[in-house]
Amino acid sequence: MAARGHVQDPNDRRLRPIYDYLDNGNNKMAIQQADKLLKKHRDLHCAKVLKAIGLQRTGKQDEAFTLAQEVANLEPTDDNSLQALTILYREMHRPELVTKLYEAAVRKVPTSEEYHSHLFMAYARVGEYKKMQQAGMALYKIVPKNPYYFWSVMSLVMQAISAQDEKLSHTMFLPLAERMVEKMVKEEKIEAEAEVQLYFMILERLGKYVEALEVVRGQLGEKLTSELQSRENKCMLLYHQLKHWPECNALSCKLLLKNPDDWQFYLSYFDSLFHLIDQSWTPPEEGDHCTEGEVHCSVSQAISFVEERLAAEEAKESRPLRGPYLARLELIRRLRQRSCSEEQQLGEPLELMFQYFVKFGDKPCCITDLKVFLELLMPDQYVQFINRLTEAVPLGEAGEDDVALPGDTRALQRHLCVAQLGRCLGLQHALDTDGKLALIRELKIHYHHGLQFGKNCLKTELQFSDMYCLMAAHVYVDLWMETGNEQMLWQCLGLLEEGLSHSPSNAQFKLLLLLLFCRLGAFEPVVDLYSSLDAKHVQHDTIGQLFHRQCFFIQTRKMNRLNNSLHFAQVRTERMLLDLYLEADISSTLEESVKSMSLCPEEDDIPWDNIRDNRDLTVFVSWNPKDRQLNEEHRQRSVEEEALWLKIRSVTLRLVGCLSGLCHPPSVRNSEKTTENGVAAKPSTLQPLLSQMESTLSQAAQFTERHSQHQYPILGPPSTRLAQALASGSCQCQLSALQLPIHLQELEAAGLDQSAELQAQISNLFKSLTVQLQDTLNKCKGDLLEVKDGRCKAQPSLLENLVYFVETICVVLWVSNYCGSTLRPLKSSLQKKKKKKKDATAVTPVVLSGFQEFTSSLQSLLSQALEHIKGQESHLTALKMESLSLEGLSQTEEEGAFTKTVMDKVQSSYLRSLQEIGDLLRKRVDTLKSLKI
Amino acid sequence: MLTMTTLRAFNCDDLFKFNNINLDPLTETYGIPFYLQYLAHWPEYFIVAEAPGGELMGYIMGKAEGSVAREEWHGHVTALSVAPEFRRLGLAAKLMDMLEEISERKGGFFVDLFVRVSNQVAVNMYKQLGYSVYRTVIEYYSASNGEPDEDAYDMRKALSRDTEKKSIIPLPHPVRPEDIE
Repeated sequence: MAARGHVQDPNDRRLRPIYDYLDNGNNKMAIQQADKLLKKHRDLHCAKVLKAIGLQRTGKQDEAFTLAQEVANLEPTDDNSLQALTILYREMHRPELVTKLYEAAVRKVPTSEEYHSHLFMAYARVGEYKKMQQAGMALYKIVPKNPYYFWSVMSLVMQAISAQDEKLSHTMFLPLAERMVEKMVKEEKIEAEAEVQLYFMILERLGKYVEALEVVRGQLGEKLTSELQSRENKCMLLYHQLKHWPECNALSCKLLLKNPDDWQFYLSYFDSLFHLIDQSWTPPEEGDHCTEGEVHCSVSQAISFVEERLAAEEAKESRPLRGPYLARLELIRRLRQRSCSEEQQLGEPLELMFQYFVKFGDKPCCITDLKVFLELLMPDQYVQFINRLTEAVPLGEAGEDDVALPGDTRALQRHLCVAQLGRCLGLQHALDTDGKLALIRELKIHYHHGLQFGKNCLKTELQFSDMYCLMAAHVYVDLWMETGNEQMLWQCLGLLEEGLSHSPSNAQFKLLLLLLFCRLGAFEPVVDLYSSLDAKHVQHDTIGQLFHRQCFFIQTRKMNRLNNSLHFAQVRTERMLLDLYLEADISSTLEESVKSMSLCPEEDDIPWDNIRDNRDLTVFVSWNPKDRQLNEEHRQRSVEEEALWLKIRSVTLRLVGCLSGLCHPPSVRNSEKTTENGVAAKPSTLQPLLSQMESTLSQAAQFTERHSQHQYPILGPPSTRLAQALASGSCQCQLSALQLPIHLQELEAAGLDQSAELQAQISNLFKSLTVQLQDTLNKCKGDLLEVKDGRCKAQPSLLENLVYFVETICVVLWVSNYCGSTLRPLKSSLQKKKKKKKDATAVTPVVLSGFQEFTSSLQSLLSQALEHIKGQESHLTALKMESLSLEGLSQTEEEGAFTKTVMDKVQSSYLRSLQEIGDLLRKRVDTLKSLKI
Repeated sequence: MLTMTTLRAFNCDDLFKFNNINLDPLTETYGIPFYLQYLAHWPEYFIVAEAPGGELMGYIMGKAEGSVAREEWHGHVTALSVAPEFRRLGLAAKLMDMLEEISERKGGFFVDLFVRVSNQVAVNMYKQLGYSVYRTVIEYYSASNGEPDEDAYDMRKALSRDTEKKSIIPLPHPVRPEDIE
């Protein structure tokens, strides 16, 4: 806890027990001890603060705050009180109060270095950059130490970075910061590396690259030592900015001579080379080419430079570096882009890539290295290339199954690399169905055979042949997508499960399983798999979203708060909606539920303009050819889709929040005038939100229409629920329901006597809502999982539609509840009138009978839905997976067992989802009773 | 060695794309503030390797700490991990080499790291790189899933400033986590 100050101080001795109690979590005793002490020593302020900490930690925030302010108002200057208050304010999440505290302390003890520096840090915690700057200078005046001066400079830079007005940064904050540093430079007072770094940062932000270069290359630059190659890297950056291509080229050359394996310098070497060629740059007649040394400015120089690097590698005893070999391919690519015939001097790409494979084919990274350069091959060379490589793979004699197998892991890696390259070239995709099935068979044989090399692998290690298994799974997915044959999907899942049994840490197996189970709407296995990935913190944001589809009835995990993340906003919105669907009007009223999640319908708190897409869409290993890979267009479209869906969901949530504001318990409604008690302000948000929903839905409809033909690659982002939610009719249905309150408010104002037209309108809305609901329910009917002719077929979309139906029913019931509460007083006042007039023959107003009809239709809709669920439950339970025939599936018994396990998982997951949906619906049926008017 | 990479300073955006490295059972993923703390205090010790295709291959994250007066000023490896497809290239060795070089420049006496006793692959690699077990820390790694906590080796390698290699003389007895500074 807080520092205890000087040992001699008798107060310290008195306070010690309280500190100890607090440290040990014994807050009650700490409070008691503090009380005891305060009886004897009324002025021992610190004891009060410590008591406040005890109170805060036992949940008595208000008391704690009052007590703390008593002390704070005295503007204490003793260390103990100040530090204890700092701790308390931090725990209260009120860092701004710490600044007040030390402002007062500094006023009273203006020469204290300690209090001034506490004040600076307090400002830093709340981001008060301007005050930080002043505090830093004040500190420097008391104690002229360099760091304090530069604290002030840094605060200026922070002001520049955070300023809304960029002009202000460039004309005021940064120039001021620059002058402050220059002053120190002139006085030769620069001491630390960080000071030079800061100077560099300022100049860079100001775009003063020439000046920055002078600093880095000059005496000050000598201080830049902690980062490796710090000066060189900074110079390179500046040469690029300044388009100083000769220097850029010469420096790259130098660095490559030192380390011929650093890729970034090949890139800057080639970049600068071609700029120089384009500028027809020629070296000066005499003297150095430039300050960095010799410059290459012709293709022939570049070719010899690369070839010299290669020759050096060839001459080496040790294993050669990969850099120079890849640099040669890179140079060919760049020359080809410029239609420069000299590329031929470097050799034929096919031959060079073959040689590369011979040298490095046994490294797992060979595929990533060569993938980049496959575009150098002509399509008619693909088969030749692969055949050439295959010949260079040392395999044994073909066994009974006609497949030649590798004898060690190096040979295995080479063979695998050829398969990966073949896939990248599209050769696997070009195969017909039989060809693909044969390929799968071969890959599986290689996979199983390769397992022997990894018998001694630890559980945390991967198997050498895992990638064969993954590739076979990819081919299965290809077949499934192409032919629609669901058997391929089931076998794929089975194979991945088998893979996982041999290699329990393989994240790629888990990721693909997750993806496919999500597609199947089977969320039970998803939860286990996701937790076995052990994803944490930021990973939830980057991976989690790929799987958070449709997890309606699955507990969403607590997500890391990454404020502007698209995913975060989605999870939060979905979570709140889910809570409402599950609880509102069941365990508490809608109003209470909305209140408890502090949902504010007037406010849109999603930062739409700054929303960030943090998904890591590259997390899946894929060897698909370029035209089948995820591209930027997919990514953008997916973000657009996600944002649309989020908009629909968040507006729905806010509309429900609005609705809850309209509902009143009957007692309040009767005793107060509804139009004047402030709640009436709410309807004004309802209408604009409804319009927002309408326009978002039409935008969404346009979006789905525009893109209905374009699926994302399977290893790309999953589609949102958007298209299906729209198709199920649930969005439209919810909108219709949520429009009702507007009309009922009109009716409330008009009364029953003068509103025949309005009443007819409302009744018609009830009727059309019933029809819409029935339509949505009809779209849920059918078998979720069926076994036909020994084959298993899943229809996850039926489950999804059922979820939409339930969500819609929830919304409709909340609206109905509001309708009921509006109509009830109208009805009772009507009855009073009737009694007075003793007129028993008068007809029931249309709106009342309409509502009664509506509630009984709801009743029958719910019964229908429950009936359907019950039917599906018994259908699923009766399904015998054993009856599935494995004939014609070319699976071994062991493989078949894995496939069946997968089917069981899906079956059990569907069953559980149905049960949970059923439970919720039954609870909702109970709320129907309260709709009587 | 044949690393063939771009070695550059780790930046905040890398946190959003290092899944292929961190989805490894032995690689810990910390909360973002933890990484930011390292980026703020010891940026030179946080290096990432990038492949020509843009894939992140691996990274090292470390810090400098300890008292100079007691000859305990040293470089510490907090995290070192390489994605599966970029293993067996000597990348980890290269990254360690860089961290040692930075520690040399800072005048450190040694470099140290903690590793799970069961992580034989890593222990052997560090031994090959010149590290030796300085002490065993009992139950340093807490397990979450009901399995027993695991011991760590505190492994060290002396730097040139420690001419007599005093810093790496092994302790005779294991220590508990609360006893290490």
